[in-house]
Amino acid sequence: MNPPIRHLALLMFLSFLLLVAATTYQQLIAGPDYRDDPRNLRVATTRIGRERGTIITRDGAVVAESIQDENDPTVFQRSYPYGELYAHIVGYDSLLFGTTGLEATRSDDLTSYRDATISGVLSALFGDDLRPKGLRLTIDNNLQQIASDALGKQRGAVIAIDPATGAILALVSKPSFDPNALIGIGAAGLGQALEEDAAIPLLNRATSQSYAPGSIFKIITLSAALQNGVANPSTIFSDPTSLDLPGSTAVIRNFSRNRCTAGDSVSLEDAFIRSCNTTFAQLGMDIGADGLVGQAEEFGFNRDIPFELQTLTSSLPQPNTFDFNDAGLAQTAIGQRDVQATPLQMLLATAAVANGGDIMAPFVVEEVFTAGADVVSRTEPTVWRKAIGRATADTIAGLMERVVTSGTGRRAAVPNIRIAGKTGTAEVPDSTPHAWFVGFGPVAPNPGEDQIAIVVIVESGGDIGESATGGALAAPIAQQVLAAFFSIPK
Amino acid sequence: MNRNAEASLLVGASLLASLGVAMVNFTLGRGFDAQVALTFVVWILSFGSVSLALRRWAPAANPYLLPLAAILAAIGFTEIYRLDADLAAIQRWSLLLAGAAAALVLFLLRGEGVRQLRRYRYLFLTVGVLLLLLPLLPDSFPIHGAEINGSRLWVRFRGLSFQPGELAKLFLALFLASYLADNHVAMSVHTRRVFGLGFPPLRHFGPIIIAGGVAFIVLVYQRDLGASLLLFALFVGMAYIATGRRSYLAAGGLFVAVSGVVAYQAFAHVQRRVDAWIRPFDDYSDTGYQIVQALFAMGSGSISGSGIGLGRPDLIPAAATDFIFAAVAEEMGFAGSVAVIAAYALLVAAGFGIALRTRDVFRKFLAASLTIVLGVQTLLILAGVLRLFPVTGITLPFMSYGGSSLLANMILVALLARISHTGRSV
Repeated sequence: MNPPIRHLALLMFLSFLLLVAATTYQQLIAGPDYRDDPRNLRVATTRIGRERGTIITRDGAVVAESIQDENDPTVFQRSYPYGELYAHIVGYDSLLFGTTGLEATRSDDLTSYRDATISGVLSALFGDDLRPKGLRLTIDNNLQQIASDALGKQRGAVIAIDPATGAILALVSKPSFDPNALIGIGAAGLGQALEEDAAIPLLNRATSQSYAPGSIFKIITLSAALQNGVANPSTIFSDPTSLDLPGSTAVIRNFSRNRCTAGDSVSLEDAFIRSCNTTFAQLGMDIGADGLVGQAEEFGFNRDIPFELQTLTSSLPQPNTFDFNDAGLAQTAIGQRDVQATPLQMLLATAAVANGGDIMAPFVVEEVFTAGADVVSRTEPTVWRKAIGRATADTIAGLMERVVTSGTGRRAAVPNIRIAGKTGTAEVPDSTPHAWFVGFGPVAPNPGEDQIAIVVIVESGGDIGESATGGALAAPIAQQVLAAFFSIPK
Repeated sequence: MNRNAEASLLVGASLLASLGVAMVNFTLGRGFDAQVALTFVVWILSFGSVSLALRRWAPAANPYLLPLAAILAAIGFTEIYRLDADLAAIQRWSLLLAGAAAALVLFLLRGEGVRQLRRYRYLFLTVGVLLLLLPLLPDSFPIHGAEINGSRLWVRFRGLSFQPGELAKLFLALFLASYLADNHVAMSVHTRRVFGLGFPPLRHFGPIIIAGGVAFIVLVYQRDLGASLLLFALFVGMAYIATGRRSYLAAGGLFVAVSGVVAYQAFAHVQRRVDAWIRPFDDYSDTGYQIVQALFAMGSGSISGSGIGLGRPDLIPAAATDFIFAAVAEEMGFAGSVAVIAAYALLVAAGFGIALRTRDVFRKFLAASLTIVLGVQTLLILAGVLRLFPVTGITLPFMSYGGSSLLANMILVALLARISHTGRSV
């Protein structure tokens, strides 16, 4: 009778081995996935209570910090002292709504590795600094505040950049939200209301929302003409009251619903300064689809912008869609129809003009530092794209300067500073137009002199409504930021 | 010598239990209180009384059974105390009671030992079946059944509740050992063949089929899948040991497979459990919730665990009872899980070893059937928690919270120890 007992004992022994295999799988192989599953409350509750790194602006303002609990020194509460102002840059680290912005993309730096795990204790014994690291932003707190105040309660975005490096100096998207309200357990109702808000305050309009660029796209059309030798600033075009588009019933008219200038003809230079739609529509057809789309892609259209914040790719149709469709090409050349651009994309195109044709990769984190304030790493500026040649850039810069001195962008002028710019008023079906302004200054800086480039968009006419234009609504906002930049003591 | 080794191992297990309580006090900030000393005293009193009974009436008994049980109880108790100090207080009383009951059993068996039990087989069968039926008593009776979590397994009397099924397993194991000791020769002779497998005449097999059938009907009616499978495994395993015929194993396996499919089709609660087993994340918030929470807990534990008192085993439903293993796996990690599984494997190995070394047929069968009960119950619930098998809802011997389970398993181990004392004599 013993052999059957031995068999059953063996069977049971094998079953226990199977249990060991199962616990190996569940705890060690599949374990990390279970541990990190967002539905696993353990992770969220311990993560939320742990210390995270401090985030400061270029000029030292603290925009995110972890505050120690008075009663339990092991528990920290994340705090964003400036509330709405940095919501779209810093993001939030929320128990219920996950992480966004730099809190998400720089989480590895901001996380504390001090814990009771074996690896944590061993590293601490060997003297590793496991405390969370801090971030110093490229943002200037003063400029950020002024940009936000200038935009006011209007929906839209403002971004400022150093064209020579790609460092973002200010980035505002309105409406915004208070990230402090999203952190704790009790944030469910408020967070859901934010997610369902028709004004979409959680959307970063500066980087993740695209609009028809309107007339500011003429910078790109002009670049294509100059780069391809199709025209030069003194090339003369006829100045009709309207332009009938071939193979279509569509008609292009100027903003004034009349001739763009007083005479029958107009130079390309004057057409750019006065933003003549008829001239640029004709120019687009002269350049052709390959030249126009190719130049836009050199500026970054249809390309993913390398950036630490989430970006939407600006788009324009492929050249073959314009075969037998000159009407579409003409409308695209003035920034309407199928062109969709984010404010960040139009800023980078402007920065290329300011920086001799090169687009620097944008960045918002200047350096990473330890809890002991030692700098761990510093972001090195890199060229992202060579969009146009230096000669083309300098020519366009000169024309854009005349837009501010004597064209549609006069209200962006800053005394004693050579400001260049371009306005845009993008028509939107069934709505009031979006007002754009892009610009930079100073034109032709002296060696060592800091430059700034800026984009402003105000959605749906802003506070002005039906009569809103880029020159009337967006240019004054840009002017405030530019004036502030040049008055900052260096 | 045996008894001294056992005594020092038991002191070690008692220190382990009080150390666990001290660690929970430290990490959860419960402060140092009488709990640490009280736990040590309860372990010494409970297991010590069984140990003293063995020293007096079964000095040659295997010295490792009791310490293994004490260690498992200590690990389980640490988690119970961590989860709920009130449950832990009740568990300590249960442990004292179980120790006293096991010592009493050893006292009653002091003379002739286990051998005398062979005579009372039909009494044991009757008591076993009655115990299984007890929870069906209507609510108006002073002693009446009670339903907890959809299964009617409990009996209430003046505010005390008891799970008679736990003890019924012991009585049915006694019945089986006795019946098979008298009939195993006749049952080994095959007179007919069905599907190529030989079977004995029905009259030798009849009582065992009837006994098994009654037990099943009762348990299926009470919706206790785990106990049904456990009893079935016991009957099939013992039939195999008694006859050496693999046809029993084959027929048993086939029967489980077929009835499993039928039960899946017929019973909604079986279907829910099987679905939750195969795709726990599909219905994560409802039927899959318990197993998913157990997986989260075990995965979060990783190698060394979160540390006792530093995890969140409170998130697992039934963490102190059926799912105590998941709580241990989270806070004591893979190291703790493997230690627990190894302890059960050693306990089962010791049980089969006793069965192998015992010459007397009845005692050999009894040791084997008690070991099968202990081993299969452990395997079923651990396989459920580890998602090798659907969750069957039975307790983990010695570790789960619950007085009935503790009582039955202490007596089980005491019986095994008593058998090992007289192992080689006839």
